[in-house]
Amino acid sequence: MSFLPRPSLLAGAAFTFLTLGIHAAHADVPVTVTDKGCEPNTLTVPAGTTTFVIQNKSTRLLEWEILNGVMVVDERENIAPGFKQKLTTKLDPGTYAVTCGLIDNPKGKLIVSASAAASAPQKPSAVDLVGPVAEYKVYVMGEVDTLVAQTKVFAAAVKAGDLAKAKQLYAPTRVHYERIEPIAELFSDIDNNVDSRADDHQKKEQDPGFIGFHRIEYALFAQNTTKDMGPIADKLVADVTTLQTRLKTLAIPPGKMAGGAADLIEEVAATKSTGEEDRYSHTDLYDFQANVDGAMKIVELLRPLTLKAAPDLQAKIDGNFKTVDAILAKYKTADGGFETYDKVSDKDRLALKGPVNELAEDLSKLRGALGLN
Amino acid sequence: MPCPFGFGRPPAAPASEAPETNAGGTNRRNVLFGLGAGGGALLASLPGREAQAAPAASGLPGVGQTATAENANQRQPFYGRYQSGIVNPRPQFGLTVAFDSLATSRPDLEKLFRLLTTRIAFLTQGGTVEQIDPKFPPLDSGLLGPTVVPRNLTVTMSLGASLFDDRYGLAHSKPKHLMAMQQFPNDELESGLCGGDILLQICSDTSDVNIHALRDIVKQTSALLAVRWKMEGFLPNPNDPSTKNETARNFLGFKDGTANPPSSDAQLMHELVWVKPGNDEPGWAENGSYQAVRLIRMFVERWDRTPLQEQETIFGRAKTSGAPLGYQNETDIPDYAADPRGLKVPLTAHMRLANPRTKEAMATRILRRPFNYSRGADKAGQLDMGLLFICYQADLAKGFIAAQTRLNGEPLEEYIKPFGGGYFFAVPGVQDKDHYLGQGLIESISA
Repeated sequence: MSFLPRPSLLAGAAFTFLTLGIHAAHADVPVTVTDKGCEPNTLTVPAGTTTFVIQNKSTRLLEWEILNGVMVVDERENIAPGFKQKLTTKLDPGTYAVTCGLIDNPKGKLIVSASAAASAPQKPSAVDLVGPVAEYKVYVMGEVDTLVAQTKVFAAAVKAGDLAKAKQLYAPTRVHYERIEPIAELFSDIDNNVDSRADDHQKKEQDPGFIGFHRIEYALFAQNTTKDMGPIADKLVADVTTLQTRLKTLAIPPGKMAGGAADLIEEVAATKSTGEEDRYSHTDLYDFQANVDGAMKIVELLRPLTLKAAPDLQAKIDGNFKTVDAILAKYKTADGGFETYDKVSDKDRLALKGPVNELAEDLSKLRGALGLN
Repeated sequence: MPCPFGFGRPPAAPASEAPETNAGGTNRRNVLFGLGAGGGALLASLPGREAQAAPAASGLPGVGQTATAENANQRQPFYGRYQSGIVNPRPQFGLTVAFDSLATSRPDLEKLFRLLTTRIAFLTQGGTVEQIDPKFPPLDSGLLGPTVVPRNLTVTMSLGASLFDDRYGLAHSKPKHLMAMQQFPNDELESGLCGGDILLQICSDTSDVNIHALRDIVKQTSALLAVRWKMEGFLPNPNDPSTKNETARNFLGFKDGTANPPSSDAQLMHELVWVKPGNDEPGWAENGSYQAVRLIRMFVERWDRTPLQEQETIFGRAKTSGAPLGYQNETDIPDYAADPRGLKVPLTAHMRLANPRTKEAMATRILRRPFNYSRGADKAGQLDMGLLFICYQADLAKGFIAAQTRLNGEPLEEYIKPFGGGYFFAVPGVQDKDHYLGQGLIESISA
C-alpha cells in the first residue's frame, strides 16, 4: 500500500470503509420504504452484524442510510422502485436514525441492543477509527510544528558558533522527529536527509552525502566544533519544513497509524538498545523515550477500540509500557533530560530488552486485532 | 584440549579402546544391529534405552558418525530419560545459541522452561502450522513451508553458571562443577561471545531446519530470552561416496574424532557422559551432563604453509590415513608405555596430550560432538573459520578441564585461538508431556 497525500482526512477513512470484512450469520431484518416513510418506523436489532432487506415501495429511486448523528454509518444506494436490496453491516449498541426516502419524511429509529455476541471481542468499524485517526493527525502536526520551530533555534545556535547551546539543543530538538518517525519516514527522501547515520554512506563521516542531525552531531560532539555546519543546518531547517508541508496534506491511513506503534518499538529493539543511533553524543535515551512516547500516544488513542477488540492484549501492552517507562525514569536528569547512554547499567539494558521485545510482539498484533490492513 | 580435534570414530572401528563390556566378544555395533532380533535384552537393563533407541535402530555406532541418507527425514525422540542431541548420531548441521535470561522471577523462569519444552516438542516432532487471519503476523516464519518436517532435529537445553546467581534463588541447586569458563593461557576470549544463562544446541540434517527452529524459539521467547551469541557449524557431507564412513575431517585437514568413545554404547555413556547418583551432585542433575562449548579459530592460511611432517608431528597422526605416527591404521591404538620418550608419537602431540591413555584418562574421556564453522573473513583478509567445539561429560573438572589443562602450551596453539564459548549443564530429559525441561531444578527449590 502506498500512501499518497490525500486532500482530507475523511477521504482516507472512507477509503478503508470498503476494506472491512463483514460476515453474515444472522436473520434478515425486513424494512419497507413508502412515499410516507419507513415501515416499521422503529427497528430493534442485537449488536453485531445485521442484514437489512430494504424494499422500495416508493415511487422514487431510494438511498437508505443508517446515521449516527450526522455521520453516515452505512448505506445502500440506488434501490429502484419496486425492488429489494440487502445491506449487511456491523453495528455497536446505541440508537441510530435511518433515512426513509424523501428528505422531508420522518426519519426512522434503529435501536441496537447490547447482545451476548456484542460483548465478545469486537473489531472496530471504520467510523470508530475516524476519531482516533483525527486526533493522531493533530498530534503529528503538533510535533512537526515544534520540530520546525526548535530546529530553527538549533540551527541558529550552530550558525552562531555557540557550541555549548547547540550541544544542549541537539537531543531535545530531535525528540519531535523521533516521536512521529513512522509517519515522517513515509517520505524517504526527507528521512535520508534528516536522520541518516554515517554508516548509510560509503565514505562514512567524510561522505558529502552525510548531512542532517547526525552530521551536525558528529561535528558538535566528536569534533567539538560548529565549523562548516552552517549550510548543513540551513538544509536541515529546509528539510523539516518540507516535511511539515507534506504532512499537512497527508491522510493517515488507520492501518499505518496502528502499525506505527509497532514500527517505533521495532526501532527501539533494533537500534536504541545498542547506543548506535547517537554514537557521538550518547543521547540515545532521548530518542528511546521519544519512540516510546510516540508508540504510547498511538496505543492511547486506540485504547477504547483495543479494549473492545482485544482486552488482554491491551493489558499486556500497558504492563510493558509501564516497566519500560519506570526503567527510563531512573535515568532522567533534573533539567528534564536524560543521562548519557553509557550510564545505563548492563542490568538495566537487559531489563529493558524483555518488555521491549514483548511490546514489539504484542504491537505487531495490534493491526490484526483491530482488523486493519 | 581433547577438544578441538576429534569428531568421532568411523563405523569400521569397533570400540577398541573402550573397556570391553559386551557379552560374547561381539562388537557393540553388531549388538545394536541385533536389537530387534533379541539383542534388545542386553540394552533393556541399561539406563536410557529410550533415548538410545533411534541410533540403535539405525545401526549407527554413535555421535561420531554423521547421520546419512538412510536415516534422514527421521525424528529424534523428545521424551526420555536423557535429552536428545547428545549421544544420537550427529547430523550434518549444528549450531549453538546462548541467551541471557530476561525472566524476572523464578515463576517467570518456570514459564520460560515450559515454553521452551512446548516449542522443542513441536519442532522436533513436526507438524502442520495453523494458518491464521492474514491481518496478523503469521505464527511461523514459513521457511520450511506449511509443514514442519524435523529431519532429525534435536534442540538440547543447557544452563550456564550465571543462571544460578541471586536472581532466581537457585544457588543451592547449582551442579557442583558448573562455573564460568576460565581463560586458558592460549585463549583470547571476547566476553560477548562467552557464557550465557541458557544455551541451546540445535542440530539437524539441514541448516534451514536449524534456522527455522532458532527463529521459532527466538520469536516465541522474545520476552524471556535475549540472544547473547550464536555460532553455526557443519560437517562434511555424509552422503559423499568418496568419504562415506570415514571419520570427518576438521578444517586443518585431519581426521578428527577417531578415538571418540562410541556413543551407542549405553553402558560406556553411563560411565562417561551422564551424571549419576553418587556423583555428589544435586539430585535434580541426575541424567544430565556437563557441556563445554568452545569457539576456536583456526589460522588456516598459516597452517597450509606449514610442512606436512610438522603438521603430523603436531597432531601425532598421519594426515592422509589418520593412523597414529609409526602405525599402519587409523584405528591402531598407540602404545605410549612402549614409547616413553615420544619417538613415534611425540610427547607434545595433540593426540597424546588430549588422551594419554592412562587408566585415569580413559575413565574420564569426554564425548566430543563438534562442528566446523566458517563465517567470512577478518580485517586482514584471512579466512575466519575453525571449530565449534562441543563436548559432554559426567565430570567437567576431570573431563574437559583436565584435558585442556594437559594441552596448555601444545605446539598446535600456534595455529588456533579459542575466542568464546562456555561451560553449561545439559539438564535431564523430559519424561513425558506432563513434564518440562528443568522441572527438577525448579522443584528442587520450591519443594
